[in-house]
Parts: sequence; C-alpha cells; structure tokens
Amino acid sequence: MKAKLSTCNLSKSFRKGGSSVEVLRDLNIDIYEGEFVSIVGASGCGKTTFLRLVDGLIEPSSGTVSIHGEIVDRPGKNLSFVFQRDGLFPWRTVADNTALGPEIAGQAMAHARNIGHRFLQLVGLSGFDQHYPHELSGGMRQRVNIARALSAGADVMLMDEPFAALDAQTREIMQSELLRIWQETRKTVLLVTHQIDEAVYLSDRVLVFTVRPGRLKQEVRIDLPRPRELSIKRTAEFVRHTDIIWRAIEEEVQESIRRESRSVASLHC
Amino acid sequence: MTMATDNHNALSRRALHISRSGVLPLVLRWCVSFAIAIALWEFCARVLVANNLFLTPLSAIGVRAVELWSTGELQNHIYVSFIEFSGGFVLAVAVGILLGVVLAEFPLVRGLVDPWVSMLYATPIIALGPLFILWLGIGVISKSAIVFLVAVFPILINTVSGLTTTDKVFIEVAESFGASAGQIYIKVRMPAALPFIIAGLRLGVARALVGVVVAELFGARAGLGFLILNSAQSFDTAGVFVGVIILAIAGVLSVELLKWLEFKLAPWRHQESGE
Repeated sequence: MKAKLSTCNLSKSFRKGGSSVEVLRDLNIDIYEGEFVSIVGASGCGKTTFLRLVDGLIEPSSGTVSIHGEIVDRPGKNLSFVFQRDGLFPWRTVADNTALGPEIAGQAMAHARNIGHRFLQLVGLSGFDQHYPHELSGGMRQRVNIARALSAGADVMLMDEPFAALDAQTREIMQSELLRIWQETRKTVLLVTHQIDEAVYLSDRVLVFTVRPGRLKQEVRIDLPRPRELSIKRTAEFVRHTDIIWRAIEEEVQESIRRESRSVASLHC
Repeated sequence: MTMATDNHNALSRRALHISRSGVLPLVLRWCVSFAIAIALWEFCARVLVANNLFLTPLSAIGVRAVELWSTGELQNHIYVSFIEFSGGFVLAVAVGILLGVVLAEFPLVRGLVDPWVSMLYATPIIALGPLFILWLGIGVISKSAIVFLVAVFPILINTVSGLTTTDKVFIEVAESFGASAGQIYIKVRMPAALPFIIAGLRLGVARALVGVVVAELFGARAGLGFLILNSAQSFDTAGVFVGVIILAIAGVLSVELLKWLEFKLAPWRHQESGE
C-alpha cells in the first residue's frame, strides 16, 4: 500500500545563540490513508516540531515531507492543524471561526459558513453559532477548534496535544468524541500527545520518539477492536499496550532527567 | 449529557455576570450619589462658605447658565470649542492610524521615527500653546493644531503596538490554512489590533479635551476655555463653573461613547476584563 503521508530522512536543527541544536534526526515515517497515528515521547523530544514540519509551518534542515507523493513546502490545503492553544479568534463568532478555512481558500462567506455549520453540527455545537469563544468552556472551544480544522476540507489532520489544557474528565469525553468524529469523517490523523492512555485509546499505531535529537525509538501497533468505548481503558489488553509504551518512554524520560540535572549542575559550578 | 454540563458552565457564568452588574441598582446608586453631592455642594456654598466668589451654589450656577444660553453666548462657546476639538481630533485619528499602519509595516522607518514619537509623546506639547497662537493666529486653527498634536501620539503608538504584537498562535492558525500575507493582515492583524486602537482613542480623547481648554486659556476669542478665563477675570465664579461643568459632561460623554464603541467592535475585551 502506498503511504498517504511520508517523511524521508527528515531532520531539523535550530540555531540557539551561536550553537546549533539538533531536534530531530533522520525520521522516516509512513502514514496510511485513514490511519490514526499518535506520537509520544519525553518532553523536548521534538514531537511538536515534527508536526510543524509535516504541516510546512517550518522548514526542515534536511529531508522531505510528502503527501500523496507531493512535497510539502508550505502550509496548504491538504493538511489541517489543530493547535494546542485553540487559537480561536476572539473577535469572531463560533460560526465565523469555523468558516475560516474555506474563507481563506476563497469561498464566498455564506458558503464558507455553511461548510462550517456542518462541522459544528458534527462536533455537537450547532446551537452555538453566534456565541463568541470567550463564552465557551475549554472543552467546547476545542470542539470548535476541531470543527474549524475539519471544515478546511483537508484529508489529513495534525493535532498538537489538543486536550492537554482540559481537565481529566473533559479530556476523556473529548477523546471518545474525537474517535466518533474520526470514524464519521474517515480522516487520516496524526496526533501528538503526552498521555499514553490517550494515544493507545485513539490510535492504530503509536510512535515512540527518543529524547533529543528525536528519532523513532519504537512503533507499537494497537490491535484493540473498534469501535472502542471508554471502558476499554480498564481492560487487561489496554493496560498491556500502555505498559509496552510506558517502558519504552521510561528510559527516555530517565535520560532526559539525567541530562537536565547535569545541565543544572554545570550551571552551579 | 456531557454537552449539557459543558453548556451549563458557560451559561451559569454569564448569568452570574448579569446579576453582579444589575441595571437597576447601578442607576439607583448613581442617583443617590448625585443627590448627596448636590445637597452637600448647596449646603457648603450657602452655609459654610457663604461667599459666591469662592464657591457658588449649584442653583446660582444654573441661573447663570440659563442667562448665558439666552444671550446665545453659551451656544457659541460650545460650538467654537467643539469645532476646535473635532477638527484636531478627527485629523489625529486619521493620521495616527494611517501613520501607525505604515510604521508597523516598515521596521526600518519605525526605528528612525520611534525616538521622536516617544519624545513628543512624553513632552507636554501644551506648553507650546503660545507659540502656536503666534504661528497660526488666535482663531480655531491654532487650537485644532494643539488638539491634533496632543491626541495623535497615543493613537499612533497604540496602532503600531496593536499591529506588531499579534498573538503568534492566531497568525499560525491562518498560515496553517494557507493564508497569504494580505489575508493575514486583513483577517488577523487588523482585528487583533482594534482593541489597542480603541484604547489609543480613549487616551487621545482625554488629552484632546484638556488640550482644547488649555489652548484657549493661552488666548482666544471664544470657546469654553475662554469662557472660564474671562469669567474668572471678571469675578464671575458661576460662569467659571458653567464652563467646567459642561466640560465635565463632554468628558463623560466621550468616554462613554468610546466604551460603547469598544463594546460593539471588541465585545470579547469587555467580558475578559470583567472576569
């Protein structure tokens, strides 16, 4: 099967002061049509940077990202990005926020609003068109954020820790909502998260990154049956999967803590 | 079910907002406050001071206002001050915003102009009043020029900072949808700058009101500042207060007008500051 989205020897270094910091090294990742793939890893492993590279928001130092075999060199219509901070425009109503993607693509405003409205319905917020983002709770704002990304019409959704700022209960609900939405829209999703259970619950595959420079450490296939209820999180099979991933991450977290304490120690000398 | 709790949170928060700033208690509070102030003023003026030269009772000020109105004098002063104020202020808004847009776009020019803008913003330009009267005459033009100069800098500075400090996440959202630089400008940076610009207008209005009065004190043939100066020099304390009270009303009205404008154009600002 041909990959929907693939990266080829993707590397990224940032300039910091005079020296250059290598964040990602030689990533070769393929993601297939309709797949739900999550990326987990210790803080600072470059997960978010990877996502931004894939979207074309930043340029790789070397290597390429391609979608349908076409090189991604700038953000465009094939990919949409769900930001961690929802980034809803406070000056726009919910309806006008969701219309942003088609509007930027040049659709007439009325048509753009129609498209937006369809996805607001999908995320369960059709009664809130005329509200402003500041009137909504965190969970509702993330729903709008997802509706906005969906209405842009891209086949691939990139999600950067979309539920990180939510409280635990709301996060669980949003996870099951995301699954439902994914099943209805059949998008290809690449999700970055800190939460191992979130990654296991949602994904077909989980990619574990090493600490900086981020490389692919392990790939874990999640063969839990679908559709998945939230209660699946309490099954032995589920826990077995999270265990595998946690063991892979633990080494990396230990390593990153060691590095941190070393750099703090060197500051004190 | 979860939706219901979600919605409930947001709705109950709004209900709280309304009950906290209920309409009737506010009006009532204002009325009581005014009634007490008027009574105190009347009492102090008639009983404690008992000298119309130092403190005129409100009733006498009212009588004087009617007198001035019936001769048509008061209307003329208000009219002249209004023309001076609006001429200078409208120009300040136009120049402040347009120049702000230009400076926000060209960092190089901004670097060159910045020290001057900061310096002139901090300078009490009003002190140049006598010079302006010398240069531009004793009429409306010199006053409008001063109003323009005191009001233009806060508007300019706020426009620049509003356009240059857009939250990065908003710009990235637009970029991720493939927005062009022009689209980002119109759909993101402009609306994001709007509350800053309105705040600049508010600062500008306050400074412009002071500007028009003080400019008239330096020399004029008509206007509310002229009325105040002229009345003071002829020991007509009631006349002074007529001028001052009208200015106070103008100040309150313009501030309220801009608050309303902000509420209409940037409703999210209003709620955020309320929480």
